Amino acid sequence: MTRAVVLVFLAVTSTAQAQSGWKVSFGVSGAPEIARSRTLTTRERVSGLVLGGEAVAARGHLVARLRYGQGRVTNDTAGRDVAEGEALLGYKARPWLTVWFGPHARTFVVPGQSDRRWLLWSGRVTARGTLFPERVSSFVEVWQGVTGSLSRPSESASGGGAEAGLDLRLTRRPVWGRLAYRIEQGRAGTRRETVEAITLTIGVTPLP
Amino acid sequence: MTRTLAVCAMLLAGAAAAPRAAAAQAAAPVLAQGVRAYDDLDLDGAAGLFRRALSIQGAGALAPADADRALMYLAATELLREHSDSARAVARRLVVANPRFRPDELVFPPQVLTFYEGVRRATPAVTARAPADTAIRPGAEALAVRLYASTVHDVTATLDRDDGRVLRTLYAGPVGDSLDLHWNGQDSSGTTPSNGRYAITVTSLDRQRRAIRILRVPLEVTQGRVDTLPHPAPPADSLLLPERQSMKPALRAFAPAALAGVAIAVLPSVVANGEDASGARFVVGGTVTVVGLVAFFSHHPGRSIPANAAHNRTLRDAWRREDADVARRNAERARGMLGIRAGTPVLLTPEAP
Repeated sequence: MTRAVVLVFLAVTSTAQAQSGWKVSFGVSGAPEIARSRTLTTRERVSGLVLGGEAVAARGHLVARLRYGQGRVTNDTAGRDVAEGEALLGYKARPWLTVWFGPHARTFVVPGQSDRRWLLWSGRVTARGTLFPERVSSFVEVWQGVTGSLSRPSESASGGGAEAGLDLRLTRRPVWGRLAYRIEQGRAGTRRETVEAITLTIGVTPLP
Repeated sequence: MTRTLAVCAMLLAGAAAAPRAAAAQAAAPVLAQGVRAYDDLDLDGAAGLFRRALSIQGAGALAPADADRALMYLAATELLREHSDSARAVARRLVVANPRFRPDELVFPPQVLTFYEGVRRATPAVTARAPADTAIRPGAEALAVRLYASTVHDVTATLDRDDGRVLRTLYAGPVGDSLDLHWNGQDSSGTTPSNGRYAITVTSLDRQRRAIRILRVPLEVTQGRVDTLPHPAPPADSLLLPERQSMKPALRAFAPAALAGVAIAVLPSVVANGEDASGARFVVGGTVTVVGLVAFFSHHPGRSIPANAAHNRTLRDAWRREDADVARRNAERARGMLGIRAGTPVLLTPEAP
């Protein structure tokens, strides 16, 4: 049944991209994540696994990327759910260089409290380099929040982050994988929240 | 005021340039003026113009053919002025300078033509033409020098050393209109002369067999010197293939991995200053770096490329064979050859006009 669903999905997406000119790919990811929260008086460290997915669509120089993940991070005394996502629109200025813009959000859910949501509008730059042509490439992505907000306490927020790692593609197969390290920090008033993750993503790009 | 200064400057420049222009006057227009004066029977004026045209030296001097014409017109002018001695001297100068010259029968009157013919017959002279640069095989081939004579007379032609010592008599006897001298590259004993300066000396004799005019054709003799075939150029770099793998592709593959590895190590302190980033990031950074090293060595930097080396060897061997073949052929061509370079003939007894 699962195989049939995957085959139908690939058939539909490959037909769609062949007709539209868009090249799309999808991936699922798992990321051991560490989140550190710090104020003037408190300091907290939680960690856990965040599972997610992503979709990337490209046509010519234009690229769009959606990512979403959720999981639970805990320590010995506390735990919270986390959900994060981003929606970016990019322009491929060079084959190796893409610039992005879009919102990036992360929400921590603590039982008995209202959600703490970070929302940052960010500008990003991604640079890629080829290690093995058509098969392995490395990338570095750096972003900076242009404007943003924190919901609890309600304050304006800023922040930035970076991601770097390896992309691997199998020859003549639609499957690809990614190993990446990601670190982000949001700042609002005296509060700082830093998130680190090592992400392993496996995806498919339907063959044309 | 400005206009006045400009006019003064132009006048000064013109005045300064005028003498220089006169000094640089060419002989050809003066000759043309002389011919017009001759046609107008202004014989005194024509004689002065012809002498002036002949006296101009350097860049503005008459070309050899024009100089012959000027001398002929001057001889005719002097004859018509009844200066027969002067006319004879000028005509003799023309005969000696160019024994082959013949006046134009449509230009000069019969008395001038007859006069010149008489002077020519009474003035034995020769000139010579030799190839400027040639090579012969001594004994089997010969250098040919053509003599042109003004009139039938006896000549002797010898091969001399630079100091005047005679090595061989090439010819002794009469010469009519022209005569080919042949030197087979050997002296009178059949020996090829050593490298050095020599001359073919042609002496014109009068009826009493006295030397009245001597013409020397300088020769420079070099043994074994011949025009050689050019050696082939070695194979151009553009034809040669690299014999070893370049480092560039390997470095190009490693550089992105190295940058990503460094970024993973450094960026936390940039993005989250003050936080102690997890050491787990080095797992990713190390993985990226290791994959980069694999990519680097997969290009086999510095390793030899046997196919390219064989291709280059084939090219170089072909060039060496061709080069050796040219060297062998040049050596064969040069063996026993005598290079002869002839200079401009020099008249040792020029006659004054």
